[in-house]
Amino acid sequence: MEVLIKFVVPSHPRYLRLVRAGVGELAAFHELAPEECRAVMLAVDEALANVIRHAYRSDYERPIEVNCRALPDRLEFALFDQGEAPDPSRLAPHPLDDVALSGRGTHIIRSIMDEVAYEQLPGGNQLRLTKLLPPRKGAKS
Amino acid sequence: MNASVRSNKGLTIVDVQGHIDLGTSPALRKTMLESLKNVDCLAANLADVKYIDSSGIASLLEVLKEAKRKGKKFVLFGLTAGVREVLQLTRLTGVFEIHATEDDVLNSVTGA
Repeated sequence: MEVLIKFVVPSHPRYLRLVRAGVGELAAFHELAPEECRAVMLAVDEALANVIRHAYRSDYERPIEVNCRALPDRLEFALFDQGEAPDPSRLAPHPLDDVALSGRGTHIIRSIMDEVAYEQLPGGNQLRLTKLLPPRKGAKS
Repeated sequence: MNASVRSNKGLTIVDVQGHIDLGTSPALRKTMLESLKNVDCLAANLADVKYIDSSGIASLLEVLKEAKRKGKKFVLFGLTAGVREVLQLTRLTGVFEIHATEDDVLNSVTGA
Protein backbone atom coordinates (compact mmCIF):
# COMPACT_ATOMS: atom_id res chain seq x y z
CA MET A 1 0.00 0.00 0.00
CA GLU A 2 1.31 3.43 -0.84
CA VAL A 3 1.81 6.21 1.67
CA LEU A 4 0.85 9.78 0.79
CA ILE A 5 1.77 12.90 2.75
CA LYS A 6 0.44 16.20 1.47
CA PHE A 7 1.69 19.66 2.43
CA VAL A 8 -0.04 22.87 1.40
CA VAL A 9 2.09 25.74 2.69
CA PRO A 10 2.54 29.45 1.99
CA SER A 11 5.54 30.34 -0.15
CA HIS A 12 7.41 31.75 2.85
CA PRO A 13 10.90 30.36 3.57
CA ARG A 14 9.93 29.69 7.18
CA TYR A 15 7.86 26.71 5.98
CA LEU A 16 10.83 25.08 4.25
CA ARG A 17 11.95 23.52 7.50
CA LEU A 18 8.53 21.99 8.07
CA VAL A 19 8.49 20.28 4.67
CA ARG A 20 12.12 19.18 5.06
CA ALA A 21 11.23 17.45 8.32
CA GLY A 22 8.40 15.51 6.68
CA VAL A 23 10.47 14.55 3.64
CA GLY A 24 13.42 13.46 5.79
CA GLU A 25 11.20 11.31 8.01
CA LEU A 26 9.50 9.72 5.01
CA ALA A 27 12.88 8.82 3.50
CA ALA A 28 14.16 7.43 6.82
CA PHE A 29 10.97 5.45 7.29
CA HIS A 30 11.66 3.77 3.94
CA GLU A 31 15.11 2.75 5.11
CA LEU A 32 17.23 5.08 3.06
CA ALA A 33 20.69 5.60 4.56
CA PRO A 34 21.15 8.82 6.57
CA GLU A 35 23.18 10.50 3.80
CA GLU A 36 20.48 9.57 1.26
CA CYS A 37 17.77 10.97 3.53
CA ARG A 38 19.72 14.24 3.78
CA ALA A 39 20.14 14.28 -0.01
CA VAL A 40 16.43 13.70 -0.75
CA MET A 41 15.50 16.38 1.78
CA LEU A 42 17.97 18.79 0.15
CA ALA A 43 16.64 18.14 -3.36
CA VAL A 44 13.02 18.79 -2.38
CA ASP A 45 14.09 21.87 -0.42
CA GLU A 46 16.01 23.26 -3.41
CA ALA A 47 12.97 22.72 -5.63
CA LEU A 48 10.76 24.58 -3.13
CA ALA A 49 13.30 27.42 -2.91
CA ASN A 50 13.21 27.69 -6.72
CA VAL A 51 9.42 28.01 -6.60
CA ILE A 52 9.64 30.78 -4.00
CA ARG A 53 12.42 32.70 -5.79
CA HIS A 54 11.51 32.20 -9.43
CA ALA A 55 7.86 31.13 -9.88
CA TYR A 56 6.59 33.47 -7.16
CA ARG A 57 9.44 36.05 -7.33
CA SER A 58 9.71 36.03 -3.52
CA ASP A 59 6.02 36.75 -2.95
CA TYR A 60 5.68 34.91 0.37
CA GLU A 61 1.89 34.55 0.43
CA ARG A 62 1.22 32.19 -2.46
CA PRO A 63 0.35 28.50 -2.09
CA ILE A 64 2.72 25.62 -2.71
CA GLU A 65 1.44 22.06 -2.70
CA VAL A 66 3.82 19.17 -2.09
CA ASN A 67 2.57 15.61 -2.51
CA CYS A 68 5.00 13.04 -1.13
CA ARG A 69 4.23 9.47 -2.24
CA ALA A 70 6.02 6.38 -1.07
CA LEU A 71 5.65 3.39 -3.38
CA PRO A 72 7.36 0.02 -2.97
CA ASP A 73 10.13 0.91 -5.40
CA ARG A 74 10.35 4.71 -5.20
CA LEU A 75 9.65 7.98 -3.46
CA GLU A 76 7.85 10.62 -5.52
CA PHE A 77 7.58 14.31 -4.71
CA ALA A 78 5.20 16.40 -6.82
CA LEU A 79 5.41 20.16 -6.28
CA PHE A 80 2.63 22.33 -7.62
CA ASP A 81 2.65 26.13 -7.76
CA GLN A 82 0.53 28.80 -9.44
CA GLY A 83 3.43 31.08 -10.39
CA GLU A 84 5.32 31.89 -13.56
CA ALA A 85 6.50 29.04 -15.75
CA PRO A 86 10.22 28.36 -15.30
CA ASP A 87 12.80 29.45 -17.83
CA PRO A 88 13.57 26.25 -19.80
CA SER A 89 17.29 27.07 -19.74
CA ARG A 90 17.22 26.99 -15.93
CA LEU A 91 15.69 23.50 -15.87
CA ALA A 92 18.18 22.04 -18.32
CA PRO A 93 21.37 20.40 -17.04
CA HIS A 94 24.34 22.74 -17.27
CA PRO A 95 27.94 22.66 -16.08
CA LEU A 96 28.63 24.32 -12.75
CA ASP A 97 30.47 27.62 -12.77
CA ASP A 98 33.06 27.74 -9.97
CA VAL A 99 32.47 31.40 -9.30
CA ALA A 100 28.70 31.73 -9.78
CA LEU A 101 26.80 32.57 -6.62
CA SER A 102 23.50 31.11 -7.80
CA GLY A 103 22.20 28.36 -10.06
CA ARG A 104 23.42 25.43 -7.99
CA GLY A 105 19.95 24.32 -6.85
CA THR A 106 18.94 22.73 -10.16
CA HIS A 107 22.30 20.95 -10.37
CA ILE A 108 21.77 19.57 -6.85
CA ILE A 109 18.26 18.33 -7.67
CA ARG A 110 19.44 16.54 -10.83
CA SER A 111 22.45 15.04 -9.03
CA ILE A 112 20.31 13.51 -6.29
CA MET A 113 17.06 12.49 -7.95
CA ASP A 114 16.68 9.65 -10.45
CA GLU A 115 13.96 11.41 -12.43
CA VAL A 116 13.10 15.10 -12.73
CA ALA A 117 10.05 16.00 -14.82
CA TYR A 118 8.46 19.40 -15.31
CA GLU A 119 4.92 19.78 -16.58
CA GLN A 120 2.79 22.85 -17.19
CA LEU A 121 -0.72 22.15 -15.92
CA PRO A 122 -3.88 24.26 -16.11
CA GLY A 123 -3.33 26.96 -13.51
CA GLY A 124 0.25 26.26 -12.68
CA ASN A 125 3.47 24.28 -12.78
CA GLN A 126 4.24 20.82 -11.55
CA LEU A 127 7.70 19.46 -10.85
CA ARG A 128 7.89 15.74 -10.16
CA LEU A 129 11.00 14.38 -8.45
CA THR A 130 11.54 10.62 -8.18
CA LYS A 131 14.03 8.74 -6.04
CA LEU A 132 14.24 5.01 -6.65
CA LEU A 133 14.46 2.88 -3.54
CA PRO A 134 16.97 0.04 -3.24
CA PRO A 135 15.36 -3.43 -3.43
CA ARG A 136 14.34 -4.67 -0.02
CA LYS A 137 16.01 -7.77 1.34
CA GLY A 138 13.87 -10.80 0.69
CA ALA A 139 11.62 -8.97 -1.77
CA LYS A 140 10.66 -10.78 -4.96
CA SER A 141 12.27 -9.24 -8.03
CA MET B 1 19.82 29.85 12.64
CA ASN B 2 22.04 31.73 15.04
CA ALA B 3 25.40 33.29 14.25
CA SER B 4 27.55 34.79 17.01
CA VAL B 5 31.02 36.31 16.78
CA ARG B 6 33.88 35.75 19.22
CA SER B 7 37.67 35.97 19.36
CA ASN B 8 40.21 33.30 20.31
CA LYS B 9 43.93 34.19 20.43
CA GLY B 10 43.40 36.97 17.95
CA LEU B 11 41.34 34.88 15.53
CA THR B 12 37.78 36.06 14.87
CA ILE B 13 35.31 33.20 14.70
CA VAL B 14 31.64 33.12 13.66
CA ASP B 15 29.87 30.26 15.45
CA VAL B 16 26.94 29.16 13.29
CA GLN B 17 24.11 27.04 14.68
CA GLY B 18 20.94 25.55 13.23
CA HIS B 19 19.50 25.54 9.73
CA ILE B 20 20.94 27.68 6.91
CA ASP B 21 18.41 27.97 4.11
CA LEU B 22 16.71 30.48 1.84
CA GLY B 23 15.16 32.21 4.85
CA THR B 24 18.21 32.41 7.09
CA SER B 25 21.21 32.69 4.76
CA PRO B 26 20.84 36.50 4.23
CA ALA B 27 21.32 37.12 7.98
CA LEU B 28 24.35 34.82 8.06
CA ARG B 29 25.87 36.54 5.02
CA LYS B 30 25.37 39.94 6.65
CA THR B 31 26.97 38.85 9.95
CA MET B 32 30.00 37.35 8.21
CA LEU B 33 30.55 40.26 5.80
CA GLU B 34 30.31 42.73 8.72
CA SER B 35 32.79 40.68 10.75
CA LEU B 36 35.18 40.44 7.82
CA LYS B 37 35.45 44.23 7.59
CA ASN B 38 37.42 44.47 10.82
CA VAL B 39 39.81 41.53 10.53
CA ASP B 40 42.45 39.99 8.26
CA CYS B 41 41.16 36.45 8.80
CA LEU B 42 37.68 35.18 9.57
CA ALA B 43 36.82 31.58 10.51
CA ALA B 44 33.35 30.05 10.31
CA ASN B 45 32.63 27.31 12.85
CA LEU B 46 30.06 25.03 11.19
CA ALA B 47 30.11 22.24 13.81
CA ASP B 48 26.55 22.98 14.95
CA VAL B 49 25.02 23.48 11.50
CA LYS B 50 22.12 21.05 11.20
CA TYR B 51 21.30 21.84 7.58
CA ILE B 52 22.63 23.94 4.70
CA ASP B 53 21.25 24.47 1.20
CA SER B 54 22.68 26.07 -1.93
CA SER B 55 21.75 29.58 -0.74
CA GLY B 56 23.85 28.97 2.38
CA ILE B 57 26.73 27.71 0.27
CA ALA B 58 26.35 30.81 -1.96
CA SER B 59 26.61 32.99 1.16
CA LEU B 60 29.85 31.29 2.19
CA LEU B 61 31.14 31.72 -1.35
CA GLU B 62 30.27 35.41 -1.33
CA VAL B 63 32.23 35.94 1.89
CA LEU B 64 35.18 34.04 0.40
CA LYS B 65 35.11 36.23 -2.70
CA GLU B 66 34.98 39.40 -0.63
CA ALA B 67 37.88 38.16 1.50
CA LYS B 68 39.99 37.41 -1.56
CA ARG B 69 39.10 40.78 -3.08
CA LYS B 70 40.41 42.51 0.06
CA GLY B 71 43.47 40.26 0.41
CA LYS B 72 42.03 38.58 3.52
CA LYS B 73 41.41 34.96 4.55
CA PHE B 74 38.12 33.14 5.12
CA VAL B 75 38.31 29.59 6.41
CA LEU B 76 35.80 26.94 7.48
CA PHE B 77 36.10 24.35 10.23
CA GLY B 78 34.02 21.74 12.05
CA LEU B 79 32.11 20.63 8.97
CA THR B 80 29.34 18.13 9.67
CA ALA B 81 28.65 15.30 7.23
CA GLY B 82 25.66 17.23 5.87
CA VAL B 83 27.66 20.38 5.14
CA ARG B 84 30.45 18.37 3.54
CA GLU B 85 27.96 16.52 1.32
CA VAL B 86 26.46 19.78 0.01
CA LEU B 87 29.93 21.21 -0.69
CA GLN B 88 30.76 18.02 -2.62
CA LEU B 89 27.48 18.15 -4.57
CA THR B 90 28.23 21.74 -5.58
CA ARG B 91 31.87 20.83 -6.28
CA LEU B 92 33.15 23.54 -4.00
CA THR B 93 35.13 21.46 -1.50
CA GLY B 94 38.40 22.50 -3.11
CA VAL B 95 37.46 26.17 -3.31
CA PHE B 96 37.38 26.74 0.45
CA GLU B 97 40.20 26.39 2.97
CA ILE B 98 38.76 23.76 5.32
CA HIS B 99 40.13 22.68 8.71
CA ALA B 100 38.94 19.96 11.06
CA THR B 101 39.05 21.88 14.33
CA GLU B 102 39.46 25.36 15.78
CA ASP B 103 42.94 24.41 17.01
CA ASP B 104 43.89 23.44 13.46
CA VAL B 105 42.79 26.88 12.24
CA LEU B 106 44.79 28.58 14.99
CA ASN B 107 47.88 26.52 14.14
CA SER B 108 47.50 27.32 10.46
CA VAL B 109 46.62 30.97 10.63
CA THR B 110 48.30 32.32 13.74
CA GLY B 111 50.94 29.66 14.30
CA ALA B 112 49.66 29.31 17.89
